[in-house]
Amino acid sequence: MSSNVNKPSSRPVTTRAAQVVREYGPFGGTERVGGVTYDGRRVWAATGAKLVAFDPASGEPMDSLDVACDAGTAFDGTYLYQIAEARIDKIDPATGKVVASIPAPGNGGDSGLTWAEGSLWVGQYRDRKIHQVDPQTGAVIRSIESNRFVTGVTWVDGELWHGTWEGDDSELRRIDPADGTVLECLEMPPGVNVSGLESDGADLFYCGGGGSGKVRAVRRPRRAAA
Amino acid sequence: MDSLIAASARALAAGDALGALKRVALRDDPPALALRGIAMAQLGDHPRARELLRRAARGFGGHEELARARCVVAEAEVALAMRDLGGSPRALTAAAATLEARADRANALQAWLIAARRLLLLGRLDEAAAALAKLDAQALPPSLVAMAELTSAELSLRSLQTEVARAALDRAQAAAARAGVPALSAEVTEARRALDRPAARRLSADGEQALRLEEVAALLESDALVVDACRRGIRAGGSWQALTRRPVLFALALALAEAWPGDVDRETLIECAFHMSRPDETHRARLRVEIGRLRSLVGGFAQIEASARGFVLKPHKDRTVVVLAPPIDGEQASLVALLSDGAAWSTSALSLALGASQRTVQRALAELEAAGRVRSIGRARAQRWVAPPLAGFTTILLLPAALPIE
Repeated sequence: MSSNVNKPSSRPVTTRAAQVVREYGPFGGTERVGGVTYDGRRVWAATGAKLVAFDPASGEPMDSLDVACDAGTAFDGTYLYQIAEARIDKIDPATGKVVASIPAPGNGGDSGLTWAEGSLWVGQYRDRKIHQVDPQTGAVIRSIESNRFVTGVTWVDGELWHGTWEGDDSELRRIDPADGTVLECLEMPPGVNVSGLESDGADLFYCGGGGSGKVRAVRRPRRAAA
Repeated sequence: MDSLIAASARALAAGDALGALKRVALRDDPPALALRGIAMAQLGDHPRARELLRRAARGFGGHEELARARCVVAEAEVALAMRDLGGSPRALTAAAATLEARADRANALQAWLIAARRLLLLGRLDEAAAALAKLDAQALPPSLVAMAELTSAELSLRSLQTEVARAALDRAQAAAARAGVPALSAEVTEARRALDRPAARRLSADGEQALRLEEVAALLESDALVVDACRRGIRAGGSWQALTRRPVLFALALALAEAWPGDVDRETLIECAFHMSRPDETHRARLRVEIGRLRSLVGGFAQIEASARGFVLKPHKDRTVVVLAPPIDGEQASLVALLSDGAAWSTSALSLALGASQRTVQRALAELEAAGRVRSIGRARAQRWVAPPLAGFTTILLLPAALPIE
């Protein structure tokens, strides 16, 4: 547990403009996207009362589940995890059935969810925190503090990224999972918000577009040496 | 936007204010305060709603400008519903500018619409029309179209342009149907009813007849010479001679018109113009002077001739003479008729127009205010009186358009 939030970083933070390579949606009748995840084949977007899945290659809708889905979404290889109100539902993507529920660590102030290394990682929006949570019990294993509102969390290649949305501006940030130090920033274009973040495991991020109802694909920067 | 806020906003958008409230009832962060405020407004607790929205706006502060601006707009709308018009419109104007700059068109236009409705309620009709003109030819969501058309109908009704008002109400009705807000449709239907209520009486030699607003407009457009006791003036052949500041001349004109085509004796004229029941020679001299003044004012459309016992009104071109009176008799009815132009009147202007003392007018206004038939704005010397809107349109809150609180 660590909280070196606003300390001046000794390492220089690389900041650049995010490269939006593609936009998907809005997805018929829905007005907002609160969470996104990727199951290796389909991108899932949480749109309030419906989880919609689309093919990232064609953008065509593939599936939808009628479940409450207010914020972050995650996939553990078998099940979907979805933040709804103040709980996290474990959902069978084949049937849409909720097989288990655990309390959300932010007690409803949660936004952003991802699965990595046997844990769930949950963003607590206005409290600017990311919690590592036991997916069986909901117990908080540890917390990382950010200095921005957290709107999405994802892990890729051992890197922890989170979406921010504050003061009407959004960024994707890579932070040091040990102490929350910001290592790298991708600034979204003005007025473009990030709500929900997921890596495709390669060089793309899928970003929920909040009130725009869209999902955007953003290129992950290649690094020579981190 | 976090999960409970999203769930609460979803409930609110579906019309479930209690469900929305339940999800954020114990939270005091700005988005939760904003949602609680909007839910309370929809439940009708305006003072509480206002307080919550204010706290939300403060909480968002400068670095979440967009969310703050939306709260300011929502708060302004709640203030309007409470008829609290005392505050400065500066915050609303600034919020509108912020929303516009941040490309939140729908909420920016809603802010301008609130500003226009506020001016209308304040009796500043020209400014209200100018604010409303900003919304013209904009792509508005249907609920805002309905509200804008209702507002412009109200403005047209005030100037007796009933055809224009009716067309605006037709558009309002269509837009309300598209918006699918039943309360809004009901409001438009109610506004239409204002067109069918008796707005004045026509007094003529044949007797008395109740007139709807439309018929009043038609009568004023007609070729008749109309002595209008509602608006205090004389209209004939498209020209209008206001006598609001000349109560003596108006009293004379009214007496002559009521007796037309007959004449009126001097004693009667002196009594109704000067309130003197036992006239002497000086009163007769004064009557001659006042008749002379009236004669030159109405010279364009009528002559005033001396008869054996007094005076008689002789309109040009064989026009008929009609008296238009408030729907009921009495001081209060006359006041309401004057205020029905929608403009803001001072007590002294009203007393001047009616030829009554300020005390009398004040007493009548106090009774009307207690009955909810007139409203006052401002204090002391700045106090002004306005009639409530013909349509009660300002009670409808379009707050969900101020969402999403992102």
